[in-house]
Formats: sequence, structure tokens, C-alpha cells
Amino acid sequence: MNKCLHCEKNLEIHQKDFCCNGCECAYQIIKENHCESYYISRKINAEELSLKPNLEDELDILEFVSVHSNNEFQIDLMIRGLHCGACIWLIENLLKKQNNVIDARINLTQKTLRIKWLGEKKYGNDLIKLITKIGYKLFPADQEILRKIEEKFDNKIFKALAVAGFGAGNIMLFSLPLWFDYDLEISGATRKLLHLLSSIIALPVLIYSGRIFFISAFNSLRARLPNMDVPISIAIFLASIVSLLQTFRGGQNVYFDSAVMLVFFLLIGRYLDFKARKKAFNIASEFSMLQAGFGRVEIVNKIRVLPAKDLREDMVLLVAVGEKIACDGLVIEGQSHIDNSLISGESIPQKVQKNSIVYGGSINLSSPLKIKITKNIKNGVLSQIINLIGNIENKKNIYVRIADKFSKYYTPIIHILALITFAFWFFYFKSNWEIALMNATAVLIITCPCALALAIPIAQTIAISNFLKRGIVMKTGETLEKINNIEYVIFDKTGSITIGKPILKNIYEIKDENLKELNADDKEFYLKISASMAKFSKHPISQSLCDSFEGELDNIEVKEYSGEGLEANFGHKKARLGNAHFCKINEENSQFIIKNSLSNSIANLKCYMNFDNKNIIFTFHDELKTDAKMVIDFLKKINKKIILLSGDSENEVKRIAEITGIEEFYWQKNPLEKAQLLEELNSKNINFMMIGDGLNDAPSLALSTISVSFSKAVDISQNIADVIINSSKLSPIISIFLYSKNTLKIMKQNLFIALIYNIFALPFAMAGFVVPLIAAIAMSSSSLIVVINSIRLNSKKI
Amino acid sequence: MNILLFLIPITLMLGVCGLIAFLWTVKNKQYDDLEGSANRILFEDKIEK
Repeated sequence: MNKCLHCEKNLEIHQKDFCCNGCECAYQIIKENHCESYYISRKINAEELSLKPNLEDELDILEFVSVHSNNEFQIDLMIRGLHCGACIWLIENLLKKQNNVIDARINLTQKTLRIKWLGEKKYGNDLIKLITKIGYKLFPADQEILRKIEEKFDNKIFKALAVAGFGAGNIMLFSLPLWFDYDLEISGATRKLLHLLSSIIALPVLIYSGRIFFISAFNSLRARLPNMDVPISIAIFLASIVSLLQTFRGGQNVYFDSAVMLVFFLLIGRYLDFKARKKAFNIASEFSMLQAGFGRVEIVNKIRVLPAKDLREDMVLLVAVGEKIACDGLVIEGQSHIDNSLISGESIPQKVQKNSIVYGGSINLSSPLKIKITKNIKNGVLSQIINLIGNIENKKNIYVRIADKFSKYYTPIIHILALITFAFWFFYFKSNWEIALMNATAVLIITCPCALALAIPIAQTIAISNFLKRGIVMKTGETLEKINNIEYVIFDKTGSITIGKPILKNIYEIKDENLKELNADDKEFYLKISASMAKFSKHPISQSLCDSFEGELDNIEVKEYSGEGLEANFGHKKARLGNAHFCKINEENSQFIIKNSLSNSIANLKCYMNFDNKNIIFTFHDELKTDAKMVIDFLKKINKKIILLSGDSENEVKRIAEITGIEEFYWQKNPLEKAQLLEELNSKNINFMMIGDGLNDAPSLALSTISVSFSKAVDISQNIADVIINSSKLSPIISIFLYSKNTLKIMKQNLFIALIYNIFALPFAMAGFVVPLIAAIAMSSSSLIVVINSIRLNSKKI
Repeated sequence: MNILLFLIPITLMLGVCGLIAFLWTVKNKQYDDLEGSANRILFEDKIEK
């Protein structure tokens, strides 16, 4: 079958090179600008990613342009739809080829695009249009959030790590000769020189790179909650002082090299942790930027685009087809269907007309609307739910991470041991205070949680990056640790365990007050007619009709009656597709007939057609995801209790529960009732995992120990969720359970290795045998073993 | 051993030069978008207006 030259979707037979005007237009633009090599170098999967440009998308970004100098302008945009390196090449080149554009640069990590141009401000809109026309989606980026990212995640730790690495490497130049000087052949003067040189490298490095620990330790002491950084700081500080003293008194051993190496290893662990957190923050901020949104308002006959937060009551909002409604309001003009699933969780579109109330976050489906804003964004239903979530997040139990649990006991023990060592040497062996202090310092250095600090971040980083390769975004490492405690797994229905889209189930004819199922040929015939009409509509049911028909569609002219249905002429036979009233079918009567005829599964979703005096009914239902049963069986096998929680009707929930074999299920629960149910579990200290996608699930997701959402879910749910699955499949949940368990096992092994090493090395340190060479070998070998053990994770199957 | 008096400062200076160069690349934000850079290296065409 031929494929569309631009979006690679399969073509129907009557189409030549392109599936739609949008794709043809995009292809032309790319060709005119001599960027065709994009089509060769790109790697796309047409099934997963739609490159179809939406020509109705129009964006006025002038409000967001910043002026640099007289005629230099700049804008930051969030970009959606990037899939590989070729996209960066295409977008940057296309823009740079336009006159006046000085610079265009994409940051693939942040998914932002920055354009700079000369000349006129309004030229920016043309540039944006160019990019939307070739199939990417752009949103103005929130400067405030971008700045926050930059402030919060500067390169402080990275620079400290670089300096420590430099120090650790170069200090070896002066330490190595001394390490192997068993017979004291190096003269006192040379020794002193080498010690001095070591101190010249070590002291600045320790002050610069060590400040990360000093500051954190100081803050934790002030808050009276000493953390792991306190013993680290004390060890670094004592080691420097003792070594400096020894240098000037011409002593034999100094610990500068150990101290620098310690800082270097600790910073590696710290940096890995930092990188994981930065990634999580980037993902979260990307969503909050998209969620911020904007609205087009009509002010004195002029149309302006305003950020959602600047929209006020009584403004008139214009909402095009496919656009999100920014605020709660009242429809004053137009008739349409809106997708209200964000608020209600219902997948069936709701019909709206003049004086209907609409809520912010709904999507306009069939025709343009004019809406008078009744509540600004702060007071809207959407923000109320978001506030609710905020409250829950604060109330949630704080999870104590393994490393913190460990250090709570570890820290006091090593300090006591160091003190004992000092006392023992000073009072019992009557050695001078220098030697006693040296040995106490050696205890602190050798027990310093070097391997401990690496043990968890390394395993975590490897696990998270392996998850990412399999399309599972894990935002925090905590999730890996918490998964073992999960007792309950709770599923939302629509969109989580089911596909969340109506799928054609059957076609009937109403004949003499009875429903008659059509035979296969008739089904094909009516489906073809309906699909030919439905391809002109964005209504989910229409799309489902189109999807169910395979083959060539009739080319006909279709008239859309907004909010009612579609009408077309086939030859001289008139066809109507839409609601019962529109198709001149008595709705109450037909409801009655349907109820009588379809006893076991009452079709929630129907669509009517009147053709050639025949009344046809299409019934739809929401189908299970193909891997749902497999996942449920797996969860049962590992003894998790499963609950199905839905806002849908009793029959539908029961049907799904029966098929999947879920024994506990609840129906017709609104977001608050769902949250209440989970709060009960929470109060019993039961850990549970929640899998959901809608805004109606958001409070429940916030309450759960681990929350899982999908990349197609609403922004807020993705924002809250600990784990995002980058497809609509359920089977990654199996991977999450299995691989997290493996990771946790490796983490515990690592802690065990580190602990064994400490227990083994401690007596030597206390006895005063740990010279700098031993310290260096012990420290690096234990760290290395932990790293190698963690790398084993790569060979475990996800 | 006098050779040490020359070699040690030279070694240290070279090391410091490397460190400064590295810190400069950090400040220059060359590590901010590693995913992008990994892809960019494969572009070959120069842009003509």
C-alpha cells in the first residue's frame, strides 16, 4: 500500500501522494526550502506519532515576544512532536533560511525552541506558522518557569566534581612516591616539599568542592536534623587540619590525597542523584508550561491572545475546533460538542449550545464557540481540583529512603568509634595527642560513606536509564524502593484498563419495533456509507466509524449540522447520520426497543443513521487494552490485591471486571469519592499503586504511594504521577514490578558490600595501621566493587 | 632531583589549563543539551539563504 509522502500514513486508493492537504502543504514548504533530505534521514513510527499538520491551528504569539534591542526580537517556545535528530535539523534550517532570522536553536532535552529575528515584531507569527504547517505543535514557554529551572539547576555540582577530579588526579603525582617509600629513602626535605605541594592542590580543592557538603551540613545542623553530610564534613575538616599540622612539623604521613579522593567519589554519587532530579523536574515543568495555556479573546472587535492567567470575567473567549477551553464560562454563540473527559472522566462528548455552562480544560470538538468567561482561572473548577491535589501532596506520608534510614544509625556509631580510638591511644597507650588524633582521623576517613554514597545513586541511575529506554519514565528513584511495599494495585477504567475510545460493536436495523442484526454484506454497505460521511467530522464516534471501515470511501459532499449530525446525498438518496432526533427516529421509542433487545450489555454509545427510509443503529463500546488480562494475571500471581475504580455505570464496570477477573470493583465514583476511598487505605497505612489517566483520577494519583499514568493522559495527571508510561500499553507495569525488585536487590547488595568493607577496615584504622596508601586502596576498591555490582543491572531483563 | 623544580610547575600548569578549559565549556552551556548535541553532530549541510 502507498504511504503519504509526509506523514507516512497508509493512503487510500484514490489518494495519490498525500493523505490530506496539510501534508501536501508541508511537503511543498520543505521542498521549496531544499530540505528534502529530512525525509531520508528521519526515523519515524507513523503508528505512534502523528505528523499530520493541523491547518486550523493558528497561534498569535506577539504577546510573548521579548525585544532585545531596537529591532532584534526573541521568543522561547515549547515544541511538541520532535521525534529524532532530523527534526532539529529541519526546523533549525528552515528557520535560518528565512530572511531576517538570526538564530534558531532547539534544546532537545528541554524541548524548547528559541528564535531570534530582525525587523518587525509581527514577523514572528509567520515564522511560527511555518513550523506549525510542517506538523509540529508550538506553545509559548513560560519565562518564569524557564528561569526557575536555570536557577535551581545551575552547574554548581558539576563544576565542583570537575575540580575534585582534577585534584584527585594531580595529587597522585606527589603521593605515589611517598606511598611506596617503605624504607624511608626519601629525605626529610623532599618529603616536606611533596607534602607542601599536596597541600597546595588539596586545600583549594577541598574548600571549593567540599563546600557542597559543608553548606549542607551546616544547614542540617541549624535545622537540628543532622544528615550524612555532617560526618563527611567533619572527616574532611579533621583530615585537612591534621595533615597541615603534620606537613609543617615534618611528619611522616599526610591524608590530603585521601580527603580529595573522598570528596571526588562522594561528588560522583551526588552528581548522579542531581541529574536524576533535574530530569524529573524538566518533565514536570514541561507539563506545567503546557498546562498554563492561553486563550484568544475578542476585545473591541480585535482578537488578542492572552496567557490564561490574564483572562478575566466577562471577556469573550473564542474557541476554535480542537482547541482547549481556557476558563469556565457560558456559551453565547455557537453549537458544538465538547470533550469533557478532563473533568468528568466520561468519554462521551457532551452537546453544548447557547447558555450551556462549560468548564476550563474541556476540548471543543465540532464547531467554533464564543464563550463569556464567568470565572477567572483561579476560581475555576480546574484550579479547585488542582488545589485539592496540592493539599493532598502536603498531607502525604513522607517516605524515608533506605540511605537515610541507614545513615541514622551509621553516623553516631562511627563518631563514637573515632572518639574511642582517640581516647584509647591518648589515655591507654599514653601516645602523644598527634598520633591519637591521626588515628581517630583515619577511622573517620576509612569509614566515610564513600561506597555508601555511591551504592544507591549508581544503581538508581542505571535502572532509571534502562526504564527510559523501554519507554517508562520514572521520575524519582524513590519509586524503585517503594515498590516492594505495594499491597494493592488500583486501576481506573476508562483509558487505563480500557482503550478509552469508542469502538464499533454492532450494527442493527430498527424494523417493526424490533432490533434486527444486519447480515455481513449489509453491515459492510452501511458502514461504508457512514464512514464516507464521518470522515468529515472530528467527533470520536465518527473517527471510530472511519477506523472500522477498511477500503475505499465514497467521495461525496457532506453537510454538517453542528451538534446534530451529518447529511449527504448518495445519488438521489439522502443519508443522515447523527442523533436520533436528527435522523427522524423517535428517541424514547428506540431507547425502549434497545433495552428490550440487548439484555446483557446495554450499549451506552449509539449513533443513528437514516438511509433510504431504513433506520440503522450503530452501537459502540469501550474495549479492553489487549494486554490488560495478562497484567491482571501477573499481579494476581505476585499476590497483589486489585481494585477497579471507575466513574462509569454499574453495568459497564461489572462487564470489564468480569472479563479481567477483578473481584473488587466500584462504580459511579466521582473524583472526590475516589480520593476518599483511597484515603481510607492510606489511614490504614496500606501502600498502594494507582494507575489512572484522567483529571478525575488526579487526586487519587496524588494520594497513592506510587502513581502511574500514560503519556496520552491529561497534563496534570502526568505531572503528579511518579511513573509515566510512554505508550498506552499496560504491560510496562509488569516490567516496573520485576525490574524494580532487581534494582532494590542490587542496592541492598551494594549497601552490604560497603558495610562489610567498613567492618573489615575499621579495626586496622583503630589500630593505627591505615597509612594513606591503605586508605586510598580501600576507598577506591570498595567504590569500584559497588559500581561493578551495579552495572550487573544492565544484564537483567526488563 | 633539580629537574623536579621545573617539571612540577609545568605539570601543574598544564593540569590547571585543562581544568580552566573544562570549566569554560561548562559555563558556555555545552553540557546543557547533551541529547541535542548527540544528534547535531550528524548534520552536514551548511545553510544557504
